Order: sequence, then C-alpha cells, then structure tokens
Amino acid sequence: MAEKRGTVGGPVLTEWFGKAKLHTLDVYESLGGYSALRKVVTEMTAAQVIDEVKMSGLRGRGGADFPTATKWSFVPKDHPGPKYIVVNADESEPGSAKDRYLLENSPHMLIEGAAIATFAIGGHQAWIYIRGEYDLPYEMLRDAIAEAHTKGYLGDHPFGSDYPLDVRLYRGHGAYICGEETALLESLEGKRAQPRSRPPFPAVKGAWGLPTAVNNVETLATVPWIMRHGGPEYAKRGTEKAKGTRIVTVSGDVQKPGNYEIEIGVTYRHIIEELAGGARPGHKIKVFWPGGSSAKVLPGSMLDTSTDLDGLKALGTMGGSGGIIVMDDSHCVVKAAARLLRFYAHESCGKCTPCRVGSNWAVRTYERILANEGSETELGLLERVADGLQNGRCLCGLGDAAGWVIESTMRHFRGEYEEHCLRHTCSVGAVLAHA
Amino acid sequence: MSTLSSHLLDEIKELPAKYPQPRSAVMPALDLAQEELGHLTPEAMSEVAGALQLDPGYVEGVATFYTLFHLQPVGRHRFYICTNLSCMLRGAEDIVDRVKGAIGVREPGEVSKDGLFSYEEVECLGACEYAPVCRLDHRYEVDLTRAKIDLLVNNRRLPRKHIKSRPAADVTTPRPLPGSAGPPRTRGGRQSKPAPRRPARPPKESDG
Ligand SMILES: Cc1cc2nc3c(=O)[nH]c(=O)nc-3n(C[C@H](O)[C@H](O)[C@H](O)COP(=O)(O)O)c2cc1C
Ligand code: FES
Repeated sequence: MAEKRGTVGGPVLTEWFGKAKLHTLDVYESLGGYSALRKVVTEMTAAQVIDEVKMSGLRGRGGADFPTATKWSFVPKDHPGPKYIVVNADESEPGSAKDRYLLENSPHMLIEGAAIATFAIGGHQAWIYIRGEYDLPYEMLRDAIAEAHTKGYLGDHPFGSDYPLDVRLYRGHGAYICGEETALLESLEGKRAQPRSRPPFPAVKGAWGLPTAVNNVETLATVPWIMRHGGPEYAKRGTEKAKGTRIVTVSGDVQKPGNYEIEIGVTYRHIIEELAGGARPGHKIKVFWPGGSSAKVLPGSMLDTSTDLDGLKALGTMGGSGGIIVMDDSHCVVKAAARLLRFYAHESCGKCTPCRVGSNWAVRTYERILANEGSETELGLLERVADGLQNGRCLCGLGDAAGWVIESTMRHFRGEYEEHCLRHTCSVGAVLAHA
Repeated sequence: MSTLSSHLLDEIKELPAKYPQPRSAVMPALDLAQEELGHLTPEAMSEVAGALQLDPGYVEGVATFYTLFHLQPVGRHRFYICTNLSCMLRGAEDIVDRVKGAIGVREPGEVSKDGLFSYEEVECLGACEYAPVCRLDHRYEVDLTRAKIDLLVNNRRLPRKHIKSRPAADVTTPRPLPGSAGPPRTRGGRQSKPAPRRPARPPKESDG
C-alpha cells in the first residue's frame, strides 16, 4: 500500500503504529506486546479476564455495539467439547477500512486479542475469517501466527502453561453477506453464506454447531491494551456509556482521507474537518454517512453531532463500522443512493423475499429516475419499497440497511429527488470526477 | 485423464483433516483448483467434489455463490476495480473506462485478445482512504489515475524475462509493510512491479 493514511501513536489502538517493523513479533514484544496474553494464561482465570473487559465497557466495533464481555459470558462455561472464537475480518461495509489498517500495521495485536478471548470463553481455538481480497493482511497474519508458534506463545503450552491455544485462518471468497455473523459461520462451514435464523444464537450453536463468540477485528485488537492497563483505565475514555476509542475511516470528498483513532464522543466536525482536512476549497459538505453505508445519512448541517454510540442511535442512525463517507456539493445524492442500492441488491443473499425483491425494485426505480423517466409514481414507489425493506423482518440487517439509505436520503434531500423525478434535472449534474 | 493434476488432487484430499469438519475444505479446495486452471470448469468442480467426497451439485452451488470463484476464463491479470461509493466519488467510472481502453475490451469479464487481461467491477475493497482502488495480481493498487492504469498495463505487457515475481512471504525476513515499517517507499513506487505469469499460488490456510 502507499503511505500510511491515518493515526500513528494514538491513545490505544494505534499507540505503536509507525514503529519500524511493528508487524514482527520481536518489535511487537519489545513494546509490550504479548505481555497481556502471558499474564492471562499464566496468572488469571477466565472469569477474571471477562471481568476486566466488563469494567472497560468495551462494545463491539463490528457494527452492532454489543458489550463484548457480555457476549463472552453467554458462551456456556460447562460445555464439554470445543468452543470457538471466530474473528470477523470480512470487512466489506462500504466506507470501512479500519480492520485492514489494523491488520496491516499490527497483526500480532489481533492474534494476541483473539487468543485472550479464546481463553476467556474456555476455548482453545480461534478462527479468523478474512475476506479473500485482503491478500496482504492474510499473508501478514499467516506469518505472524507462525512466528507466535515458533516462539511458543501459541501451541500446546503457550508461555509454558498447560492451556493449548491456537489461531487459524480461513479465507472468504467475495460476498458482503459473509460479514453478517451467522452467514459467516455458514461460510466457514463450507456452505453458501446465508444467514441462519436465531435462536439458537452462536453462543450456543455457532461454528460447526458448537458454542462460539463472533467478534470484530478491532474489538479483539483492543483487548490486549485493556488487559495491560486495566478495564477502568480504558473506561476513562469515551462517553458515559460508550467507552474508549475507535478507528474511523474517513473517505470520499475530504482532503485527507484516512483511518483515524478517535475518542468516542468527539464530533463529526472534529473528525471530518480537523483530522481529515475538510472539504476541498470552494466546496461544502452536503451529506455524510456516520458509520458505514448502512448508517442513515446525516446532512452537512449536522456535523456537530457526537460520535457517542447511543446519541447516534437516538438520532435513528448508528456508529456502525466507523466508516465515514463524506460527500460534497459537487455530487448528486440520488446517484449516490442509487449506487448503494445496486450494492445491496447485488449482495442480497436471496434467502428472504423482502430483501431480495425490495432491493431489486429499488434498483430498477433508481434506474428509471436517472434515465429521466421518473415521476410522482417513482417517488411513491421508493417510499413504499424503503418501508418494506425496513420492516421486512428478514433474518439479517442487510435489507434494513438498504431501506435506510433510501429513507434517509429522501428525508434530508427530498428536493433533489423531486428535481430528478418531477423536473428531470439535476442541480449538480452527474457525479463529477475529482480534478 | 483428469483436468486437475494428480498432485493437486492429492493435496485437496488432505485438506478436510485441517478443519473441525471436512466440509470446510470446499473453498480452500476450489481455490487450489482455480489457481491451477485459472477458472473453475465443470470438470474441475466435479473432480474437487470427488476428492472431497461431496456431491458435485453442492460444490458447484458453493462456487457460484462467491464472486472470487470464476466460472469463465479470465485474463492472466485481472483488474478488480472498486466502483462503490467512496471510489465513485473519486472517479472510479473514469478508471473503469481507462482500463477498458488500455486492455482493449468492451465489457467486464471479456478477456483481451492476448489473453493477458480482463476486468471486473467490484464492491468496496476496504481501502476507501486510497480511492479509487483496484486489486490486481493479489495486491491493491491505490490512488488510481488514468496514467497509472496505463503503467500497470504496459508493465504487464513486457517480455517475461523482465518480470520479477513478488517476493515470497517469509517469516524470517518479513516483507516491507504498507506505509508503516520497512524501507521508505515513495508513493506509488510499487506499482511497476509486475506479477509472475500465473500469480504465485495464494497462501494456504494450513500454513499458519
Ligand atoms: C449485512 C451485515 C454485514 C456485516 N458485516 C460485518 C463485517 O464486515 N465485519 C464485522 O465485524 N461485522 C459485520 N457485521 C456485524 C456482525 O454480524 C457481528 O455483529 C459482529 O461481527 C460482531 O462482532 P463485535 O461484537 O465485535 O462487533 C455485519 C452485519 C450485517 C447484518
Ligand atoms: S469504496 Fe472503493 S475501496 Fe471502499
């Protein structure tokens, strides 16, 4: 990859980024890496690890904000056979690149976090499911795992203990739906990736039918820091209920796109204008997606919104995967929404009818609108389709996300939709390439 | 005479033991088959099924679900061009246009006359901060411009003796890192390194 775009030397996750050869075990360890895993396997009990993470207040960074310690505690303690940690490294949410950033900088951080999590649920194996396009992160993880085995930090006796720990890799093969945790488990089992109905939840019946906790890369990469510094120290950062820091990916119409580690609670204005350099000169930010393409959009007038997870929920949107997509006034909202609907329709696994049919309807409607064949009918149709998608009661959230794109762009930019449908014009023209 | 080489079939037969349940081997096995043939033919899929003791229809069902499995011939170098929102905002349409022109094809999937190239438009590659982005020969090419596309294409047209393969992954001598560690790398300084004739076989799950 080209030069690093994002935070180095930040407070938690990116603390060591920028150190030469951080991806090697020696450098990672010289900075304090693997001290957490060593302590965990030689001195602690699983319950103590879960308690520490509980005190940190860490919530999952894969999109659903679920408290990590709680998720681990759902995995039955007395289950006799194998139990698994499955790492969700499928990162395919449009606008999100932070897991890749973490992996390319510090693969050992994830391996250490995954191993600690595995210990915490009383398991012995973690499986990292990584999207197939991530060749370099895959190779780095593979090499790092091999290093950890050679050093004796993974294997039958990690750090001389009698608690076997292993981390394995599994490559995805291109399908957004694999990011959804139950579809991911299907895929890991060698099947078509279609979400499962719940219950049973993965904690009871997950990978290969056994108790499993699925966690995002960033979530687990945070765990070694928490174990080194203590849960309460982590909880000093962030807002009252959304603790800590996270990495946001800022992309689109900003001057300095990149992955920035932020303390949860800073405003989008801080991220977009100060960290990412704001809009190009002469342009204004029209709209942004606050947490990946699946988060309901906010207009440029709401840049002072906080990144607090619950505050975003109260606004009807979400911090999601932390991917912030910024669009300025040179781009057309209708065309952007049409592109995202094409994405959701393409990635719908086809299992649930409202999602499969609704997303394809929306695509055809947008096509008519962009071909200047729209009318009042299309406006009404989009509203109804958005409604059907959001209330589709599907097995997973993909259809809802598609509905949110339509609903939120229509709500905030009704004028642009009407211009397209009723007057067959576009005040910003086609999407322009950057000069 | 089978489509897949016998040593590959032997390798595939060893995969199921590496997973808690044998069925998980289906994608790694299809990977190996695709790497050897370039794309998955019906014969190859049924040989994979045979080696894994699975139903051929089942294996085909899996292969057709995932976009990284190719059921049609592909160019030796395939551009996976991201056209999702962040890349679109930064000119992905123009990049697609240039790739088509530079490799001389009209539509996605079409293989250039020399067999060297094809392209595909893909969804977000998870590298949006470098938009517009494409994946080519198992690496990402970033901050794409029309000129950069021409360079990527022209470099891959050079006679093979000029082409160095990428360094093999090696634990003891780790490769330079993206941006962070490793020797300083000027922006865009890597794109002139073309890939081997067949991209090196992707690493296997079992290697870890
Ligand atoms: C359509 C869809 C796609 C998703 N994609 C991802 C993804 O790429 N990466 C991820 O970590 N979580 C993704 N999720 C969320 C996962 O289902 C799950 O909540 C998450 O991996 C749990 O990890 P966490 O608790 O650490 O956040 C997706 C969810 C849905 C509905
Ligand atoms: S939109 Fe192109 S890499 Fe994310």
